[in-house]
Amino acid sequence: MSTPANYTRVPLCEPEEIPLDVKRENEFGKLTSQKYLHQVESLHGRPLQKTIIDAPPYYISLLTYLNYLILLILGHAHDFLGVTFQRNKHLDILERDGLAPWYSNFESFYVRRLKMRIDDCFSRPTTGVPGRFIRCIDRISHNLNEYYTYSGSTTMCLNLSSYNYLGFAQSEGQCTDAAIESVDKYGVHSGGSRTQIGTTDLQVLAEKLIAKFVGKEDAMIFSMGYGTNANFFNAFMDSKCLVISDELNHTSIRTGVRLSGAAVRTFKHGDMEGLEKLIREQIVLGQPKTNRPWKKIIICVEGLYSMEGTLCNLPVLVALKKKYKCYLYVDEAHSIGAMGPTGRGVCELFGIDPKEIDVLMGTLTKSFGAAGGYIACDKWIIDRLRLDISTASYAEPSPPPVLAQIVSSLQTIIGDISPGEGTERLQRIAFNSRYLRLGLQRLGFIVYGVADSPVIPMLLYCPSKMPAFSRMMLQRKIAVVVVAYPATPLIESRVRFCMSASLTKEDIDYLLRHVDEVGEKLNLKLGSGKSSVDGKPQRWDIEEVIRRTPEDCKDDKYFII
Amino acid sequence: MSILQVNDTSIPDVLPPSIPIPNFIVTSFSFIWYHLYTNILRIPGGPYIIHYINKSYDDDPYRTWVEIGLVLYAIYYYLSKPRQKKGLQSNRPKLSPQEVDSLIDEWQPELLVENTELSKQSWRLASIPEIVDGGIDTHIDLTRNFGKERFNNVFNMASNNFLQMSKWPEVIELVKKTIKNYGVGACGPAGFYGNQDVHYTLEYDLAEFFGTEGAVLYGQDFCVASSVLPAFTKRGDVIVADDQVSLALQNALQLSRSTVYYFEHNNMESLENLLAELTDLEKKDKPPAIPRKFIVTEGLFENSGDIAPLPELVKLKEKYKFRLFVDENLSIGVLGATGRGLAEHYGMNRATAIDITIGSLATAIGSSGGFCLGDSVMSQHQRIGSNAYCFSASLPAYTVTTGSKILELLNKDTVVVPQLQYLSQLLFNFFTKDLQLQKFIDVTSCINSPILHFQLTEEFRRARFNYSSEELFETISTLQKRNVTDKYIEPYENEEKFLQHIVDTILTKHNILITRNTIILKHETLPIVPSLKVCCNAGMDTQELQSAMEAIKASVLECCTTAN
Repeated sequence: MSTPANYTRVPLCEPEEIPLDVKRENEFGKLTSQKYLHQVESLHGRPLQKTIIDAPPYYISLLTYLNYLILLILGHAHDFLGVTFQRNKHLDILERDGLAPWYSNFESFYVRRLKMRIDDCFSRPTTGVPGRFIRCIDRISHNLNEYYTYSGSTTMCLNLSSYNYLGFAQSEGQCTDAAIESVDKYGVHSGGSRTQIGTTDLQVLAEKLIAKFVGKEDAMIFSMGYGTNANFFNAFMDSKCLVISDELNHTSIRTGVRLSGAAVRTFKHGDMEGLEKLIREQIVLGQPKTNRPWKKIIICVEGLYSMEGTLCNLPVLVALKKKYKCYLYVDEAHSIGAMGPTGRGVCELFGIDPKEIDVLMGTLTKSFGAAGGYIACDKWIIDRLRLDISTASYAEPSPPPVLAQIVSSLQTIIGDISPGEGTERLQRIAFNSRYLRLGLQRLGFIVYGVADSPVIPMLLYCPSKMPAFSRMMLQRKIAVVVVAYPATPLIESRVRFCMSASLTKEDIDYLLRHVDEVGEKLNLKLGSGKSSVDGKPQRWDIEEVIRRTPEDCKDDKYFII
Repeated sequence: MSILQVNDTSIPDVLPPSIPIPNFIVTSFSFIWYHLYTNILRIPGGPYIIHYINKSYDDDPYRTWVEIGLVLYAIYYYLSKPRQKKGLQSNRPKLSPQEVDSLIDEWQPELLVENTELSKQSWRLASIPEIVDGGIDTHIDLTRNFGKERFNNVFNMASNNFLQMSKWPEVIELVKKTIKNYGVGACGPAGFYGNQDVHYTLEYDLAEFFGTEGAVLYGQDFCVASSVLPAFTKRGDVIVADDQVSLALQNALQLSRSTVYYFEHNNMESLENLLAELTDLEKKDKPPAIPRKFIVTEGLFENSGDIAPLPELVKLKEKYKFRLFVDENLSIGVLGATGRGLAEHYGMNRATAIDITIGSLATAIGSSGGFCLGDSVMSQHQRIGSNAYCFSASLPAYTVTTGSKILELLNKDTVVVPQLQYLSQLLFNFFTKDLQLQKFIDVTSCINSPILHFQLTEEFRRARFNYSSEELFETISTLQKRNVTDKYIEPYENEEKFLQHIVDTILTKHNILITRNTIILKHETLPIVPSLKVCCNAGMDTQELQSAMEAIKASVLECCTTAN
């Protein structure tokens, strides 16, 4: 408990004294009925249809812009008055003792004047396992989120925010046991860089398992997912190489490419015709100024886009890559483990041999409940990369408990330990994702993405609806993540539900009822029916949705894929 | 009078009284105008538009024509196709579709990764030790050469868990307890429910331990510098860096977008000259706002093992209004009487001396991850502006509780850090005072470094491999200028192989593991030479260390005196 002296600090919470079975149930809800499972089928090489993006009525777009306009005007007025009359409160943006401020007035405007207003929706401190429920530490905001005070109490919330796709965030079960055992055998320290001392038999085992799981000859594991991408491209790309990148690729990929010095061209998200045109043009034009041909061209895409819930169009990409002799890099940060009939990611979902793809990258944070990232390629490539990737020679490798978690969760998915459990988890996340997605669509919300995506972004549009939605959900004990510009286009603020296998069907019913109610209050039911199967606006009654959707959601005919 | 008369009569002869416009045009225009007029009157605000046009035409007829021209141009501009952006690739050749197809057919890309030199460098892969049947402790079992060689109970002088505190029973107990309560992964970035109470607690603990206002945690030590520095710099900012900084900092400098200048390694005169010059330059340029200016250096240098002269640096930074950025990945837990790093080593106050400190939890502290220390405004800005913080999952809970626990232990402990320093000094004195070794090796590390770095002397390098460190750097620079990234330099490769031969000899003959400083030449942009590292840690037995040093000496001498 916190004392008055440090009540502005996040208190360290003691774990609750609860019986073991309750704790288990809180981390991973038991399956309530065999009906609530769904086995994903492979698409057998069929490419994706063109996605139809639903748009809100014009007045909503207009109001959204107006919303921003008011915020901007007020912000600038605030800044002007503040700097003129309250200098001591704005020291962070003023020059002091001949030193420039840490950040300029202009650069930090968005953060200080817009994000600060809704800061209480972000970085909510939590404690315990981020499983089916997450324990949020209660805080009271003061002075427009300038600081918070903590009473020391906590609230259990339904967790739609953590990347816990397969529900391996647990403190009970075989994975936790394996992690704890590894502490006894290996300790917690990773020794030093991989090429000097950090390679252990556990590392090698985990790498072999990953390689086998994703269907590649060899793999390398790194201790941080962001760092995997950020220090990958400079191992084999230079300024005479070209990276063709989807415009929505993650910052880590962009940082990595920038570090390599390679030239970058972007194509519109998911626009395969545009991509082909761009490749043709670039092969003909070659390097800028000199017009010499590019040394190599690599196409970078993500398997599942975490802000959109959309997939890369893998069959088309593979065909293009073969036709034009480019290389293909797929970042499966969100799709590995969570998608495909047996969790092997987008390749399996599309029914494409992983050997067709040159580099498969993924993270171990999301589906496996561990931390870090991996790169999987042919053996001769990995052999070269082991010597050339800077992280392997300069950075810390993954520590033993994390590796043990990776190994045990992978073996669970494959079925080597606790047979049947992995399949259940996969079928549960597939059902849960489809149920929530179809349920939201039927209620009339605008939802982006493909049927099987465990990331379900629901559009809010007005920036002021973000904090409203987030706070109202928190009152209803549901933890959600809201995202806005710059992670999304300016007017497309959204809430992102991250589905998990640990949720039960009843949890999703609870969620749907509350989203329905809040959505009604905030005027969020804006779907025009453009992206629904029958083309009509959907405004189903909540009871009807809960009664019919669990069966319907298993059928592809209700989704546009 | 008569002249006027003549003029009056001559005009009608030349010009008709009015321009003859065909009647149907006049009537159709009047018709259109009439309907347009009535329609405009009908739309709300229409009469005002008509009134405005009338009035402005009355006041200034030319203005109306200009405005009509502008409206027409706006319509034309809106309808015309956007022109191609003028970029670097604007010199587009006009090619027929056949020519395009043949160009595309012709194009042969290089392999994804270069593989011609792989066979020549496969010895590097074979020399990586794989620790088997247990953790990375003071004594380890290992295999090499893809499992073909096996060594048991090897004395480990290669790892950087200097304090060895993370294997203390109370820490292990805490780790298990944390995993039992929190699981392993944090399953989310800090901004989205990923930061747990334990993360905040470690941040408070770090700030308290090092005496700064704030601390921010990162997922991996290598990523911290390249994320923190670019969060505060932009084009036009100035960075002055030591010319032997580690690769992590080189990456940070590259990503910073700023103008980077280098001063000679730990040479304060060189730094001062540079700073003075830059200040003069700024006075001449008179930029509208003061640019952000940083001095970037390392606490304990990763590639040479010596330490930065903090008092002088602080004096200079205050004099020239720079901020000081120090990478303390290796010096945290090592320097200073209680392991508080470079500032404590020089008896200075970290909060005022160093503006940004970055450190590692994965070296002496013995956990995982990295952190950044500084004032609260700077710390707060990282939480929204620093990529590796915003876009990466938080550290696993057990790693942060381990961190907190070790800081708590360091606060109470009076034995471990001095013991480490004692062993470091032993190591340093042995290798620097030995006259036989001096002929062949140069020790570059300082007396307090638990990693002893040594490299071959220039004379020996010249005699054995027929090149010098300057030549190496020149070759690297020329290759860089020519944009060749796959650097394969024969004498360098031979020297590396020779150093590995020393490592192998020590391992096979004496069962002791030391390591080469495994640098990757293609990434390094600053002067560097191959070197060997011998690490000690606080858990080592003095006797065993003594005999290990003797053994290393014997092997080095043996390898250096036998001809190849």
